[in-house]
Amino acid sequence: MSDRLRGTGLLLRFALRRDRILLPTWIGLLTATVVASAAATGPLYATTAERVAAAEALNASPAIVALYGPILDTSSLGELSMTKMTVLYAVFVAFMSVVVVRRHTRVEEETGRAELVGATAVGVDAPLAAAVAEAALASVVLGVLVAAGNIASGLPVTGSVLFAASWTGIGLVGAGITVLAAQLSSSARTVGFAASGTIGVLYLLRAIGDTSADWLSWLTPFGWGTRLSAWSEPRTWLLLAYPLLAGALAAGGVALRRRRDLGAGILPDRAGPAEGAPRLRDALALVWRQQGTALVGWTAGIGVMGVLMGSIVPNIGDLLDTETTRPIIEAMGGIGALQDSLVFALASVIAVVITCFGISAVTRAAGDEHDGRTETVLATATSRAGLLVAVSSAAILGSTWLLLVSGTATAIGWGRGLGAVGAALAQAPAVWVVLGVALLLLSVRSRWAVAGWAVLAAFVTLGQVGAGLELPGWVLGVSPFHHVPKYPSEAFDWRPELVLTVLAAALVSLAWWRYRARDIG
Amino acid sequence: MAVVSSTIEVRDLVKTFSSARALDGLDLEVAPGEVHGFLGPNGAGKSTTIRILLGLLRSTDGTATVFGLDPWRDSTDIHRRLAYVPGDVSVWPNLSGGETIDLLLRMRDLDPRATDRDRLLERFELDPTKKGRAYSKGNRQKVALVAAFAAPTDLLILDEPTSGLDPLMEQVFNECLAEHKAAGTTVLLSSHILSEVERLADRVTIIRRGRTVETGSLAELRHLRRNRVRAEVSGPVPDLAALDGVHDVVVDGRVVSASVDPAGLPPLLGALHHAGVVSLTSSPPTLEELFLDAYRSSP
Repeated sequence: MSDRLRGTGLLLRFALRRDRILLPTWIGLLTATVVASAAATGPLYATTAERVAAAEALNASPAIVALYGPILDTSSLGELSMTKMTVLYAVFVAFMSVVVVRRHTRVEEETGRAELVGATAVGVDAPLAAAVAEAALASVVLGVLVAAGNIASGLPVTGSVLFAASWTGIGLVGAGITVLAAQLSSSARTVGFAASGTIGVLYLLRAIGDTSADWLSWLTPFGWGTRLSAWSEPRTWLLLAYPLLAGALAAGGVALRRRRDLGAGILPDRAGPAEGAPRLRDALALVWRQQGTALVGWTAGIGVMGVLMGSIVPNIGDLLDTETTRPIIEAMGGIGALQDSLVFALASVIAVVITCFGISAVTRAAGDEHDGRTETVLATATSRAGLLVAVSSAAILGSTWLLLVSGTATAIGWGRGLGAVGAALAQAPAVWVVLGVALLLLSVRSRWAVAGWAVLAAFVTLGQVGAGLELPGWVLGVSPFHHVPKYPSEAFDWRPELVLTVLAAALVSLAWWRYRARDIG
Repeated sequence: MAVVSSTIEVRDLVKTFSSARALDGLDLEVAPGEVHGFLGPNGAGKSTTIRILLGLLRSTDGTATVFGLDPWRDSTDIHRRLAYVPGDVSVWPNLSGGETIDLLLRMRDLDPRATDRDRLLERFELDPTKKGRAYSKGNRQKVALVAAFAAPTDLLILDEPTSGLDPLMEQVFNECLAEHKAAGTTVLLSSHILSEVERLADRVTIIRRGRTVETGSLAELRHLRRNRVRAEVSGPVPDLAALDGVHDVVVDGRVVSASVDPAGLPPLLGALHHAGVVSLTSSPPTLEELFLDAYRSSP
């Protein structure tokens, strides 16, 4: 092993030790989702005819194709079972690598820990190599588990292995993207935005490609999952594209790494103002200043996503008018009803994405406390009430604003008003409940705030696999998203909304009660 | 007010974290207008005490008051009248130093433009346009120091404030502290730098394992400690070790040296007088000896 890589094995073991909860949870949730989906789909569509009908109905909906990608072989059980996994859930695989690589490279540099490690007899490239190795290892382990799970659920062996390989591949690509992004800025936050933004754009390109220009989907790794055609007449050679792209990205990252100093970014740090704006005077202004930049980016992203999703909705009528799909649509209540249920489905997906903004606002407060900045703020005339109100407002109002943006954008794309806005805002009470839980976790112990991500992931997993597994209603009901009225496809029911809102208020009050009584730091 | 009470008064303070007892009956009293050195080995409970005084931690037992107020209940009222510099300053990575300083001042209800911030920025040679993440440890420390020193305040709580500063900047720090002291500011200064404490502190409190070991002025503390006495006698060397309060006797020919408690000094001098003392030196303990002694020995 060359000197530059000396110590990689040690750092890898150390990284795995640090991620002993994060990685098993992430891999476990994704594997569980795959297995549940595979196990549930078989019994649901026993005959080929039923599968074809279901697959064609899915293919007929541009919104679903935009979200999940098309089903190429409508008779394939494997492809139908993995509809949501092939493209949409692959995003979470990529994010796993983003989190792992960023955490062990740029975050380490920003905190100065990389300096501590760099001063030991560890090679220059070892920390980066260890981070990539960990992400690759996690992707491979995930792939093996997913393949085993699918085979155990009765899906074809070849298809299961190829599908799992595509997930491992997307994990590698996620790592490659992050290696490159980590070189750009000295800010770990900016690096996170750059990497996840790139993944978002690649996903969006595929959504556009799958619904209107096939060639575009060939250009993005999220299009390859579908085009690999794992379950019938596979293009096995396409599996090579993942490691090639990941390798190229990582090589670019390593080249840039060698051109910069430890802790510095390729893009220079801009100087800031010498004086603070008079506006920046209290905890509220501080928290909004911190979340503001993120909110602007999110507003733009959610806006574009909403318009795109919305614009697909009206086309559904023309596209669905075929011999096979007509009876399905009639059974579902006609084109109008189908449009409405799609708008609800889109709103519930976007709501989960938006909840992530709120949770990141809460975990940011936890980071401030961990680093000692909360102590500095609370040693001034700022009260704990003021600080918690500021954090809660950024999380709750910020998320609510984004819901409004998504609803409005969907309405603009769709060309119809209230339905989409109502569908988005109907999700708000459920989002507030999740954020209430996150705030409560922060208020019990700052280190627990990060568990807010696990809570959201658990609710989403429950919603995605719970119905398929025929779990009892009360288990499904644990997730607040389960109770959101299916507006506009069903009448708006204010009762569950009121209950969720009261619950959210109770959680926030409880959080406040705990926060004022606990030790800081 | 009829009686001028202590600015900080801590009695029998106890703080336990799940299993560990961080403070175990700590006492601390800081009089108005004094610079009070707060000393102790790492992990003795200095920062825990300071965090309780700031209302960040809740005490398990005992009492603590700042300006006669309860730091847990009345924290914001107390905080309007003090400035705090933590030992390990963390700043917001995306705010410039200038923004952070102004924010901290405004959070203390001060108008940055009406303060000394610009002059202090020059004295501390701090570039306020750099982003927080670009600052070194010393520069982060300067950000907190400029914010703390920029305006007159009733109380300064400084937790190892000069860590990471170079000697020139330590000099600036000393000047700033002296100016605030002259203006009547009360200072609680936790520090490991003995010369700093010796030069600036009116009184010191030494703590160890969550308890107060010594408190008083440096002169008083010295007085409590053994002097080192060295004498040359003309006659035979007397048996000094038998005297009360005399320790560590070393005899080298006609030269004898010993450590002496304040109470042992009169009998020692009597014995030396009888032995025909030719020369005599007595040296007080150095600060280092004082501290090492207090740090090591059980209370």
